[in-house]
Amino acid sequence: MKNFFRKVAFGLKPGEQQPSDPLTWAQKQVETIPELNWKGKYIFSEKEMRKYWIKQRVTEQTTFRKKFKNDPEGLRIAEKQLDNDSGRKFWPNNEICMRHAEGVRGNNPVLAKLWYFWTNHFTISDTQSLAGFSTGAYQREFIRANMDKNFETMAIEGTIAWPMIMHLDNKDNIGPKSESARQEWRRKEKRPATLNENHARELMELHTISPAGGYSQEDVQELAKIMTGWRPKWTKRSDQGTDIRFMSDRHEPGKKTVLGKTYKYGRKSLKIVIKDLVNHPSCREFIATKLCRYFITDNPTKQMIAPVIKAWEQSDGYLPEVHKAVIKVAFEYNDKYKKFQNPENWWLQTINMSGASYAYPVPEKKMDRFKLGYLVSQELREPDWLLEDIGCHPYRSKQPNGYSDISSDWLSTELVIRRLMYAKRAFHTYKLNDQIDDTIHEKIIRTNFDNPDKILKIVSKAKSNEEKHMILFNLPEALRA
Amino acid sequence: MKISRRDFLKGSATTLFLAGFNLPAFAATSKKKNLVVIMLRGGMDGLCAVPVIGDKNFEKKRKSILIENTIKLNSDFALHPRLKGFNDCWSENTGSIVHATSIPYTQRSHFEGQNLMESGGRVAYQEKTGWVGRALKLAKLQGDGLALSLPMPLLLRGVPKNNNYFPADGKLPREETLELLRSIYAESSEDELLEMMNYIKRRKNEQMMGGTSNRGKRKNKNLAKQAAVYLRKANGPRVAVFEVNGFDTHAAQGGVDGTHTKCLVEMDDIIKNLKTNLKEAYNDTIILTVTEFGRTIKQNGGNGTEHGYGTAIFMAGGLLKKSQVYTDWPGLKRKELYDGRDLNATIDARSVYASAMSTVFNLDFKRIEKEVFWGENLLDLSDKLFKA
Repeated sequence: MKNFFRKVAFGLKPGEQQPSDPLTWAQKQVETIPELNWKGKYIFSEKEMRKYWIKQRVTEQTTFRKKFKNDPEGLRIAEKQLDNDSGRKFWPNNEICMRHAEGVRGNNPVLAKLWYFWTNHFTISDTQSLAGFSTGAYQREFIRANMDKNFETMAIEGTIAWPMIMHLDNKDNIGPKSESARQEWRRKEKRPATLNENHARELMELHTISPAGGYSQEDVQELAKIMTGWRPKWTKRSDQGTDIRFMSDRHEPGKKTVLGKTYKYGRKSLKIVIKDLVNHPSCREFIATKLCRYFITDNPTKQMIAPVIKAWEQSDGYLPEVHKAVIKVAFEYNDKYKKFQNPENWWLQTINMSGASYAYPVPEKKMDRFKLGYLVSQELREPDWLLEDIGCHPYRSKQPNGYSDISSDWLSTELVIRRLMYAKRAFHTYKLNDQIDDTIHEKIIRTNFDNPDKILKIVSKAKSNEEKHMILFNLPEALRA
Repeated sequence: MKISRRDFLKGSATTLFLAGFNLPAFAATSKKKNLVVIMLRGGMDGLCAVPVIGDKNFEKKRKSILIENTIKLNSDFALHPRLKGFNDCWSENTGSIVHATSIPYTQRSHFEGQNLMESGGRVAYQEKTGWVGRALKLAKLQGDGLALSLPMPLLLRGVPKNNNYFPADGKLPREETLELLRSIYAESSEDELLEMMNYIKRRKNEQMMGGTSNRGKRKNKNLAKQAAVYLRKANGPRVAVFEVNGFDTHAAQGGVDGTHTKCLVEMDDIIKNLKTNLKEAYNDTIILTVTEFGRTIKQNGGNGTEHGYGTAIFMAGGLLKKSQVYTDWPGLKRKELYDGRDLNATIDARSVYASAMSTVFNLDFKRIEKEVFWGENLLDLSDKLFKA
């Protein structure tokens, strides 16, 4: 039973009272979206973050290209200073602190674990320096903030969020028969107006109906046509950093047909087509399957998915209901299936189960000491480094399909070595009196495992408390939940 | 299905075993051959690395980034002067270049291009396995892939039990601790974890952790030394995969000291250190490069280049037939260019890779073509590029 607290959250702190009704405990957490637990002073909106992105980008691509034409060394030094001036090495660390504080410090760890699921579903992958500036803010504003709404709202807001449009190239998706296509400068600069199908394909394949929805290449192109013109405006000073708007001069004229339904010319069609996609049966099946895979098993059964689909249908995709349904399924299958935890969730569980005296995430007062223009200290940069090193950085996924939820993708020799090393690292973020407390592991084990005596016996073979940490958090019981 | 002699040697090992042949003795007589793939991410500029000689048009378009003091390879092509390691291979008749080649991808997205250079397919993100992984599976070789990166690259996926090496900070725990975990994984039937722990235990003995003092331990040139140690062993891996990042030089690509050169030198150091440390095993090795696309012929306003199409493949190793620039040169006149701006590709890069794997894995080319590359029409270049 106790693994349920690790399955849907990050386990219990040593000595923490086990909730008497675990299912209700978990379900209650997803009803509303509380304020962030993090109280640092640098909490900026996605829009505010764009000005730092622009600073970096415009300087790098316009000023530097001219200034350091024949001076690679000068370019390297100037780029380093620019990183400090724009905060590129600071922002992601600050955002990861906010993200992880929800998991290990907040009162809604279950909601946090679901938040991580959705940020991965609507991935912004590592491109165009977005990871350094925008992705964290996007995940708060467009994903977390919409977790108490219908899926449709999250899908629409995620689709036209500035980082998503930038990341999936919809800014380059211009109607070949649009007004803009006929403009003289396109011929001069050899920039013909063409469709860019990237975003349209991912909207169907990754975000809504999945290939099981049975769309054709023609459907992708037609959806791309509906999406033409949704882009930021470009000016020399803002370099695409302006708000996403519908630019009718770049929109492809005429009606478009996607999956057999015809959509009118104009800005309204995008929201209508997204509504149709999220109401497609393949969409709820796809997402119910993904949710069950994330929480329960690599290969969810029809019986597991069915109640989640049913909740979706009855509530019109109202996310709190969908979340409650999957939590209930996870509860029912709790003893039968144990899910291998991805590195980020494993790390947070390791921190959380170890106790409250941890110096993780880096506390607010330290992060708040940061000043633009100065080198970011090693300590403040640790969260970024940690996630990169364990291969699971939420802003730096290599591909738009995000990280895998299949166990075997998290198994390589080096990734297993990382778990050994980071269990040790976790031990050393303890305060000294916990490091020398010989009873701490017994507390952790008795709080979090159903077979404490067996585990205690194994862990007691270790020579030191540090080694106990390494063994405990690498036992199959701890790797899976 | 018609099976060739080469195919018979390795491809049907299981069948032979079940039929009661004495497989180990049989296998021991065939030499272990190695394949090293260096992935050049960002779009390697084939015309910066291996420029064409005496093309006025080309020189005009690249005024500020033209490489000077190049090393003449033959009457038509020269080598970037900083590629000393490769040049040594060339002098010893074990270095080749395939020029005006590319994977069949023309869309100029790094993302899609890199996915395709690893999967070997035509539709980005469609395939979940890589061309090396599929070939290893076809050759029934397990536990023979070594990635010099943290996760398992797509290129190697498709066959179980690949190992990887990407040194972490610090030391591994005591032998007893590893053994304790190993025995627990064994008892609880955690087969994959058990596999990994077996590798880790062996690594502990070989002291393959790098240690905190060695600062450059994740640098490719040092990874190459370690990889060579592994590849040299008779029971070691047969495939190693490297990554070099940063070829995407839209600005300050520079001449002989520029950013692109820095990346090329990183590649060159891998080749050099592999050659030195593989020792005799270098004779039974093919090293080759992969990239998603080449770069535009014309430099841009920032003395850089944009995403292009055709590029070059570097190859080294004793299994090469001879030193040569193998190409069906398409020319650099405007109408000869792809889209009027890029070097064209006249050789599907996958033909080179399929031929190399046919040589290294003792597999019939046709079988690779059919089962690794879905029956796409590739050219068997084995006899032209490699020793039989």
